[in-house]
Amino acid sequence: MRNYIIRRILFIIPILIGITFISFLLINLNTSDPAEVALRVNEITPTDEAVAAMREELGLDKPFFERYIIWLGNSLRFDFGNSYINNKSVSDEMLSALPATLYLAAIALIMILGISIVAGILCAIFEDSIGDKIIRGIIFVGTAMPNFWVGLLLMWLFAVKLDLFPTSGMSGFSSVILPAATLSLSYISIYTRLIRNNMIQNKNENYVLYTRIRGLKNWAVTKHIFRNSIQSSITALGMSIPKLIAGTVIVENIFAWPGIGRLCVSAIFNRDYPIIQAYIVMMALLFVVCNLIVDIISASLDPRIRRTT
Amino acid sequence: MKCNKIVVMILVLALSFSMVGCNTATTQASGDIGEEKTQLVYASTKDIRDINPHTYSGEMAAQNMVFESLVINTDEGVKPWLAENWEISEDGKTYTFKLREDVKFTDGEVFNAAAAKMNIDAVMNNFERHAWLELVNQIDHVDIIDDFTIDLVLKNAYYPTLSELALTRPFRFISPNSFIDGNTKEGVNGYIGTGPWVLSEHKENQYAIFTANESYWGEKAKLNAVKWQVMPDHQTILLALEKGEIDLLFGADGDMVDLDSFKALEDRGKYVTVMSEPIASRAILLNSNKEITGDIKVREALQYAIDKEGIAEGILNGSESVADTVLSPTVAYCNVDLEKRSYDIDKASKLLDAAGWTLGNDGYRYKDGAKMEITIYYNSDNSQERMISEYMQDNLKNAGVNLKIVGEEKQAFLDRQKTGDFDLQYSLSWGIPYDPQSYVSSWRIPAHGDYQAQVGLEKKAWLDEMIGNVMIETDENTRQEMYNEILTYIHDASVYIPLTYSRTKAVYEPSLRGVGFNTSQYEIPFENMYFQQ
Repeated sequence: MRNYIIRRILFIIPILIGITFISFLLINLNTSDPAEVALRVNEITPTDEAVAAMREELGLDKPFFERYIIWLGNSLRFDFGNSYINNKSVSDEMLSALPATLYLAAIALIMILGISIVAGILCAIFEDSIGDKIIRGIIFVGTAMPNFWVGLLLMWLFAVKLDLFPTSGMSGFSSVILPAATLSLSYISIYTRLIRNNMIQNKNENYVLYTRIRGLKNWAVTKHIFRNSIQSSITALGMSIPKLIAGTVIVENIFAWPGIGRLCVSAIFNRDYPIIQAYIVMMALLFVVCNLIVDIISASLDPRIRRTT
Repeated sequence: MKCNKIVVMILVLALSFSMVGCNTATTQASGDIGEEKTQLVYASTKDIRDINPHTYSGEMAAQNMVFESLVINTDEGVKPWLAENWEISEDGKTYTFKLREDVKFTDGEVFNAAAAKMNIDAVMNNFERHAWLELVNQIDHVDIIDDFTIDLVLKNAYYPTLSELALTRPFRFISPNSFIDGNTKEGVNGYIGTGPWVLSEHKENQYAIFTANESYWGEKAKLNAVKWQVMPDHQTILLALEKGEIDLLFGADGDMVDLDSFKALEDRGKYVTVMSEPIASRAILLNSNKEITGDIKVREALQYAIDKEGIAEGILNGSESVADTVLSPTVAYCNVDLEKRSYDIDKASKLLDAAGWTLGNDGYRYKDGAKMEITIYYNSDNSQERMISEYMQDNLKNAGVNLKIVGEEKQAFLDRQKTGDFDLQYSLSWGIPYDPQSYVSSWRIPAHGDYQAQVGLEKKAWLDEMIGNVMIETDENTRQEMYNEILTYIHDASVYIPLTYSRTKAVYEPSLRGVGFNTSQYEIPFENMYFQQ
């Protein structure tokens, strides 16, 4: 097991180098000259002299690989340079926005777990009842609706019409409910369905029959079924966590939530390359690490995975 | 039995929802109902950011709340502000300003000649950043005459000096204590001004609170505070307005409230909707340096081929007035007698025939086997520009011209402006008080679309020289003559298709009073506003 973990961690290094290189390359392939962009965002007329001076200031006069190596070296020390817009340290900007996003994602995760487990179990127990059908109907619609639309609908209904929550902004616990609900809706749909289907499958397994023969109570049988049904959900959930964090972009904009999703969107609109690059690296790191953790958990549960990888 | 199951399921689901939602307390909108509100909540899609008055990264409306200038632009011309009065030397090169003696920065520091000089010097030390503003190129130095008198010495008798000193940036005054190493270009350590508002709290990307300056030298603000609430999404802003969380929307050119929403809010009658006088000109640039639009006859024909009335009424909902000239006659020096060119498809057709573009069987014009096809580029964020383009496409098809429409991301759009790689592109003048002098002055800078569109003109060199000269012409009449020549030439050269004159718009709840407009579309006069049931 230890060897497996070491092997997996070593494997991350080339992946991360690959990701940083591709993101650096893609941004450099962009037709806009970063020096000019940096001038323009500060409303300085990009005359030739000003562009040349800015290129030097940003180190853009150096060859591509040299720039990449310098940037990579700095990134390892968590130094992503300064924003073109306000000249503040990108790491500081990211760190100050990150807690808001993590908070939002955490609440969304609690909602996902709470609602999808309850709904999934109920649907499985009462398979094909009207209630099951209604929940599945809601799930179907929930998966199909785009985030921004759900967000606005929830805002209109719960904030404007029913006056239960503020429309937007980060002000106390009540303000996180609507954005978290918006963010979690499609995941709730996925996990409810996953749990339901797995449980229904498990219901017909022999061990269920044996537990019933042993005279176990209904809830105890359900507990067994549930335990055996959530493994695939745990794997999926591991990958959903980075997706949740990366997926806050639209929700944060609609709900004026001051997280990194919004930071990234405004960076994209302003072509604030240092922030975009840092965001990509951070998200890549998040996905890779979560993937690793999921793999390790799966491997510890199932020895076959350790041997085959 | 089945019924019971459903009830159980619904109950459990409801319980799980309520558990997640527990602890939620409803937050009340700004101010308490019943009492007179003293805090106004203004929604903006953007954060105020760094409001250092000598740089450009902050929101102008916020900079204007805190920092003041020597003089101000008003509808009646330039008026004294931090300077009580001024004198201009005979050669027009020295401006002597007598400063008010009762002005203090909000940190207690006195606003005097030394502070004024320090600020102007700081602006000049960051010369490259301000090169767009001709005044910066014209200032030679500042002399302190006595504690409350300074001389601003220019290289030439630059006539727009006073109105450019009055702009929202960069010639505004920040406390000397906020300087870092005697400068402001690398940032400041506080936003201490002399204005009617004090920035008392700023949560980046969330909100900023401005409280009334209790020791303000002039007429104090009527409200206690203004909360600048950041809401990046337009729909959210509208919903927040409906809920009463915000009191005011204010902005120009669809950046805060788009025309459709404005019209919808106006029709509902629940809010007050007002518009300023025309402030800037919306026009289409015709590139004189491109093959098809390089022909003056074609450019002239296009002037008649576009139905501006249709655009103003049909697309802009009548919220903007039709423009006949690139700068409105209400702008200083721009009341020039120029030929009005209205929608006239026959005339357009005749001009195109004369230019050698003959109508083919497919309804489009051809010349030497080449189809008459031109491309307009617009910023894809701007749905209004897309609709105007589509309308023009239809107009031009009637004249046998195929207009291709390309929406591009803002940065790509700006890149194209700089390189001149366009047939047609949108152009918006800078608005009063930048019009005409600062805007016309920018026609000489290659990074501007105006320059690129004009560069194919026969007399472009003459035009640039003329613009340079008019800025330092001391005689009012001669100056007017020169503007006449410049505007007539550019009108006759048909480089611009003037479309409409845009206006600043405000939407607010009915109990808010005193909402008005400053001369500059970028400023919001919060200090005059108050609530009254």
